[in-house]
Amino acid sequence: MSISEQYFPNEPKGPVVKSTEFPGPESKTQIASLNEVFDSRPVYFVADYEKSLGNYIVDVDGNTLLDVYAQIASIPLGYNNPALLEAAKSDKMIRAIIDRPAIGNFPGSDLKEIISDLLKVAPEGQDKVWSGLSGADANELAFKAAFFWYQGKKRGFTAQFSAEEDKSVMENIAPGSPELAILSFERAFHGRLFASASVTRSKPVHKLDMPSFKWPKAQYPSYKYPLSKYETENAEEDKRCLAIVEEIFKTWHCPIAGLIIEPIQSEGGDNHGSNAFFQGLRDLTLKFGALMIVDEVQTGVGATGKLWCHEHFNLTPKPDLVTFSKKFQSAGYYFHDPEIIPNIAYRQFNTWCGDPARMILAGAIGKEIVKHDLPALAAKVGSYLYAKLELLQAKYPTYLRDLRGKDRATFIAWSLPDAAARNKFLTDMKSVGINIGGCAEDSVRLRPTLVFEEKHADILVAGIEKILAGY
Amino acid sequence: MLRRSAYKNLQQRASQLQLKRSASQSVASIYFPSEPTAPVLKTESIPGPKSVELNEELGKVFDNRAAYFVSDYKQSIGNYLSDADGNKLLDVYAQISSIALGYNNPELLKTAKSDEMASAIINRPALACFPSAEYGQVLKDGILAAAPKGMNKVWTALSGSCANETAYKAAFMYQAQKKRGSLDFTHEELSSVMENKAPGASDSAILSFEKGFHGRLFGSLSTTRSKAIHKLDIPAFPWPAAPFPKLKYPLDNHKHENHAEEDRCLGELEKIIKNHPTDIAALIVEPVQSEGGDNHATPYFFQGVRDICTKYEILMIVDEVQTGVGASGKFWAHEHWNLTTPPDMVTFSKKFQAAGFYFKNPDLQPAQPYRQFNTWCGDPSKALIARTIYQEIEKYDLVNKTQEVGDILYKSLDTLLSKYPTKMKNLRGENFGTFIAWDFTSVLERQEFLDTCRQYGVNIGGCGDSSVRLRPTLAFGEEHAKLFLGIVEEIFLKLYK
Repeated sequence: MSISEQYFPNEPKGPVVKSTEFPGPESKTQIASLNEVFDSRPVYFVADYEKSLGNYIVDVDGNTLLDVYAQIASIPLGYNNPALLEAAKSDKMIRAIIDRPAIGNFPGSDLKEIISDLLKVAPEGQDKVWSGLSGADANELAFKAAFFWYQGKKRGFTAQFSAEEDKSVMENIAPGSPELAILSFERAFHGRLFASASVTRSKPVHKLDMPSFKWPKAQYPSYKYPLSKYETENAEEDKRCLAIVEEIFKTWHCPIAGLIIEPIQSEGGDNHGSNAFFQGLRDLTLKFGALMIVDEVQTGVGATGKLWCHEHFNLTPKPDLVTFSKKFQSAGYYFHDPEIIPNIAYRQFNTWCGDPARMILAGAIGKEIVKHDLPALAAKVGSYLYAKLELLQAKYPTYLRDLRGKDRATFIAWSLPDAAARNKFLTDMKSVGINIGGCAEDSVRLRPTLVFEEKHADILVAGIEKILAGY
Repeated sequence: MLRRSAYKNLQQRASQLQLKRSASQSVASIYFPSEPTAPVLKTESIPGPKSVELNEELGKVFDNRAAYFVSDYKQSIGNYLSDADGNKLLDVYAQISSIALGYNNPELLKTAKSDEMASAIINRPALACFPSAEYGQVLKDGILAAAPKGMNKVWTALSGSCANETAYKAAFMYQAQKKRGSLDFTHEELSSVMENKAPGASDSAILSFEKGFHGRLFGSLSTTRSKAIHKLDIPAFPWPAAPFPKLKYPLDNHKHENHAEEDRCLGELEKIIKNHPTDIAALIVEPVQSEGGDNHATPYFFQGVRDICTKYEILMIVDEVQTGVGASGKFWAHEHWNLTTPPDMVTFSKKFQAAGFYFKNPDLQPAQPYRQFNTWCGDPSKALIARTIYQEIEKYDLVNKTQEVGDILYKSLDTLLSKYPTKMKNLRGENFGTFIAWDFTSVLERQEFLDTCRQYGVNIGGCGDSSVRLRPTLAFGEEHAKLFLGIVEEIFLKLYK
């Protein structure tokens, strides 16, 4: 029995489409009602989570859609997964929900076990974790850690703060509030709070009208596809981009404490970088004394065929911080250097310091992923799917261009001619019962769960072909 | 032996209270029939040996340097927090003011065990794209039913910091839109924003108050002005801070001076606004500056702030993360002010478990979708808990009960203050529910008091430089207040005889 059959013996055999347009009439009514109190303009449809199962999301009009978007890449093991249901009904979980502790001050007697479960699925080379609540929060906590670390190096890890620092910080000015930067990349997405939005460079709509830190941005490689055909050009592109990073480190007007990068720029268009590029970055961060933060919020937790996508790069040494959220349900950063823990207590601190309810769920997700070796399954299904999409690409080269994600399991994307064509494609796919998402202006990204199998891939490919055949 | 005598006295007090307790049905006795009637002390000191051992283990994977002791939440009940050694402490700190209805509240337990909750935990939606059919109703019956007067919309978030930051974003987008007039962004805005430069990136500011605490992410931390340790080494926006009134106590004896102090602060506020080099999009203020030392101001001051905001077209954000959800004797503390015009946004978190901001003006929702947006846009599992919390507060009239209990606490503490005027100063929070605080004369005396409380089985927290704050749950009744007061009195006798 396949894993999806084990988890979901009653999973639908295929999509069922009842509505002639999306959102359907019942969804529309409910959206209007919700919109009175909660901004509902981005709603695709209103879902019935009780009826959703495995890889299928059911809406309030009774449509059953194969979901390869999975709540913007954040459902790990399918809807209503029985193993997660067990975790959700466990005594430990119930307690975590009703007695939510301020874990920095009053950790529960089960906290060590909860954290140890998160550490069991830590990226290679990482053995500590600090928890947050969302991807944006995780990244900002990592930035704080980087700034503490950078100033600690400068001042001496155990040195006291100066009177001038203590005074100036209350005015938001240097030296207490130092001018330091985090370097990010064009088209990157790292969240939408103030510092995370400052390093986000995906689209204007993500950033407009917010004050931003004056931090530098480098260029992320733009490869030509297929990769096998353009090895020389793409290697040149890596060199060009690395030279820009080095130039920024040398010339930026203030010190750069950390660099943040996604293993695959997801919101920004599923842009990939080579192993050589990432090792080059690692070397530059060491050369210039900055921390390397790998943002695995979207790429992490198995979908690329490794538990953590950057493990594909075999970096030496390992990154300093790895942030996570989405599919892990809990959020935070992994690290290994004890000096990334600030010199004194209450610096990396807040009321909740994470959410044990979500940490317990993450532990259960990690356990299932390891038990069933789901990254290997994703890799197997991904190769199968990629090969089928390659064939489709040959048939429909206009609407399926720059196919990306070879050897990255189901973390696959491609581009269409323009935004209008892409948006039409996403809408049309609902008519064949597939919920699918876009990224950047003109791309489509596949973000299915980790229990997405060949049979689901077949339905997806047939759906794509049906739509493309009509173009 | 301090500990032995303390323990003996507690047992006596407990048996006295047990007699009284049967006479009146407190909400705690309904929720928690087996709640202890006094702290239970099992070990010679707290943290006890098991707590110490577990904390050492925990330290291998978690920065536990701020841990007071290791708790056993399963054994905790009502107003009593159990530690790993089986000590049960009367908790007037309640997870830094974030437990609403007591530990292991049976109604919350029902909610947590419901299928609705299980689904919210395991099928967490990207709320703004694929909301569940129930979410709207859950908001309407819970978070929105509790909305401050004059507010009928909410944007949900995950913590106090992110509630405040999403409110700041709403403010920046609103002000920019107003200035722009047109719904279209200019080419220059669209290109400059990708360089983090004006005009696309705003150079506007959020104004906050000295000693304010609004969180620790980068935008919220730029408005936090409580202590250096909260801010050091973190880059900050060059945003302005205005002075918050330093009132003299008792208020009745210093009416004239306090009025002058509030006028001074209002004058300074107006001056800062006029002289600030950039636009100020919004001002954020706590009804009581909590982390900053439980600093209060009068309704006159807040009405003055409201008037200045209106005059200069600055949005007024009231940060009710710590003050909200009943503890002040009103559901929202700012309702004590009777403002002529409601605040523009009110943020919440902590005791509500869910977080976010309330508002009324539809223009605080950006004209274009996907601007105030993120993957999760809140957490339905927390909205379910918030709904139960709201419904229980209404069912048992816990806001008014908290006011009554607060009166008892305040009056007795006032009497205690008159006995120890050189030790205990500036009692604050009259007619403000259980949201009470006072000062010691030094950090050390404050620390000695907090530590001694723990040894007597009371878990209590500090704030500011030398203050003690009471932040009990809403199920903290008269019986708990009397017990607490007796223990405090005993500690004062012990420490200062």
